[in-house]
Amino acid sequence: MAGGIKKIVVEQGAERFPSTGAILLSVGDVPVSRARGQMQDMVQGTNTDMGKDTLHLLSYAGEFLKPCPGTRNYICCGYLILNVGTNCPLDCSYCILQAYFNLPNLRVHVNLEQEIDRVFEAIDREPEKIFRVGTGEFTDSLALDPVTGWSGIIVERFSMRKNTVLELKTKTANTRALLESTCRDRIIVSWSLNSPFICATEEHGAAALKKRLEAARECRAAGFTLGFHFDPMIPHRDWKDGYRRTVDLLDRYIEPGGIIWISMGSFRFMPALKPIIRRRHRDTCVLDGEFIKGLDGKMRYFKPIRIELYSFLRELLSQWHPDMGLYLCMESHEVWLESMSWSPETTEGLCGYLDQRVRKFFDLCG
Amino acid sequence: MVNIDNIRGVAHQKVELASIDDFPGPYCMSFGFDLGPLVRSLEGAGLLNPPLLTGDENGRFTIVAGYRRIKALKQMKVDTATCRIIPVNEIPPAECLLMNLYDNLAVRELNPVEKGMALTRLNCWFSTEEIVDQYMALLGLPPNRATLSSYLRFEEKMEIQAKEAVALGRLSFRNAMLLADLDPVSRSALVDLMSNLKFTISQQAHIIDYVTDLALIEGETIPEVLSDSRVRAIVGDSLMNKPQKGRRLISYLRRRRMPRLSKAEKDFRKVVADLNLDKMVRIEHSPFFESPFYRLEVLFRDGQSLREKLEKLMSEDLEKIGDPWKDNGRGD
Repeated sequence: MAGGIKKIVVEQGAERFPSTGAILLSVGDVPVSRARGQMQDMVQGTNTDMGKDTLHLLSYAGEFLKPCPGTRNYICCGYLILNVGTNCPLDCSYCILQAYFNLPNLRVHVNLEQEIDRVFEAIDREPEKIFRVGTGEFTDSLALDPVTGWSGIIVERFSMRKNTVLELKTKTANTRALLESTCRDRIIVSWSLNSPFICATEEHGAAALKKRLEAARECRAAGFTLGFHFDPMIPHRDWKDGYRRTVDLLDRYIEPGGIIWISMGSFRFMPALKPIIRRRHRDTCVLDGEFIKGLDGKMRYFKPIRIELYSFLRELLSQWHPDMGLYLCMESHEVWLESMSWSPETTEGLCGYLDQRVRKFFDLCG
Repeated sequence: MVNIDNIRGVAHQKVELASIDDFPGPYCMSFGFDLGPLVRSLEGAGLLNPPLLTGDENGRFTIVAGYRRIKALKQMKVDTATCRIIPVNEIPPAECLLMNLYDNLAVRELNPVEKGMALTRLNCWFSTEEIVDQYMALLGLPPNRATLSSYLRFEEKMEIQAKEAVALGRLSFRNAMLLADLDPVSRSALVDLMSNLKFTISQQAHIIDYVTDLALIEGETIPEVLSDSRVRAIVGDSLMNKPQKGRRLISYLRRRRMPRLSKAEKDFRKVVADLNLDKMVRIEHSPFFESPFYRLEVLFRDGQSLREKLEKLMSEDLEKIGDPWKDNGRGD
């Protein structure tokens, strides 16, 4: 990915952190500029490149551990986000980050190493609770890893926590640093998957589907626990055939026993994202479906369409293996019942179900 | 800031109106106005407040303030008028611009097109920070870059036809910005529609959304979508007034854009209609059926009438009510 970085901005205060030096060394001969404070906010939706070629190093003053911004009225997985940085070098047409952040550039929080102790203090205060933590919500967990060394900073330290799993979600094959580490305990490497058509036409800059699965297979062979996320599912021409082909590929590449969970979610977005997608991705098909305004104010597919998507994929995945830890991301109790034939009923219920999966896969007692 | 002393002593001079540029020029920001009242005022009382002009070496004049007065005088076929003339290079252009801005703001609120003109002109002389911090609130706009960017973009991209629709209130500024990324022909087709029919602001947004989506999904151009025989039949229906046509058109486009939802709504309405409910009893689904619950509303005068209504309701075939998209025959 370093090849895609054309500029580096170092914000005042970021120079004193070792990560800054390490990143500057790793990118080599890339022009570096200094910024006194916050860069000017991006005028939402008018900046077409969003600074995806600019690495922006800053000392982040906010909370590093945040609850997933789940929305009311729908059941959330209760995942916690480790906020290592924001924005993503990949350019998926459907990405909510296009409307979510108003600051441009690939923002890397170089004080992560220093602040992470605070995260562990919070985790250690509740030793009975299972923390499911991930870095893949505000950015891709591994896309910038060759440059930022995020996995090197956090994997070992998380692996030592007995009540915490760390999930690294990606659409890339940047697993080298992970594979070189010796830590496997309570580390989950996950891939976002989609139909071959969506992967090829909408997930710009992401690794090809087979490359992702090859990387997953390699990680599994190296002892990592795997996760997969079919999110966002998008109905398109021949979508059933497309998702069937992806599950066939999963079967060919991956041994299902090493999968802790597979999530399914359908495309949903804040209304403000639509004009941005239209402007930035003129040939996209992701806006073609029948969207309605959901109970949380976000646009989502009309309910029977969502049920059809999930039911179809659940059937395929269940045929592949009966115990996959399948769950739905941000769905209602009713849609759970209709498409999965059971429901955790509440966010707490889903958290309990996923915590059980963690207990099944990992030794949490030390 | 404007230094009023700079223009206190400027000379009054009779000027040939033909030597004054017809266009708003770099300082003026008037658009979409009705000259009628001003013409009547000038006919009745004459030119009380002489326009402020700046001249060049060739004897041509540019209006600093008084664009509408000059336009009105020209419409009245007046040949000359007394104006105040600022000597060439005497007052910096940024100050001339501010004179015009304050001159306008003192007597009226600018329409959105004029705000775009004002911000575009300010943008030539002032930094973004200065415009956001000092001038946007003066124009009644939220002081932020996103709003500034929208107005600059509007002024740059929109054709006269779209600007007129906005200035006349036929198209909201926000909805006009939804057209900014379209090609001029598509934009013109939609602006024509907005100008010919009468839509509320939310209807405008729906129309733009449905038509642009349908064009992309069905592989047609926007003018092709709008020249569809059904659309033409609605627009040309002489039995409906403009708001009726607008509602009918939105309903048609929505059915085309959201076929499954529209069918579910129609099927549900049919089930409820077949129940033969009392006029004071209503059964409704949630918006878009997203909530699993349906809603029963009963209006009644007293306990006795409530009992009667509920007993009548209970005698109906209520089991027919259910999610209309399910294949269990309930919705058919």
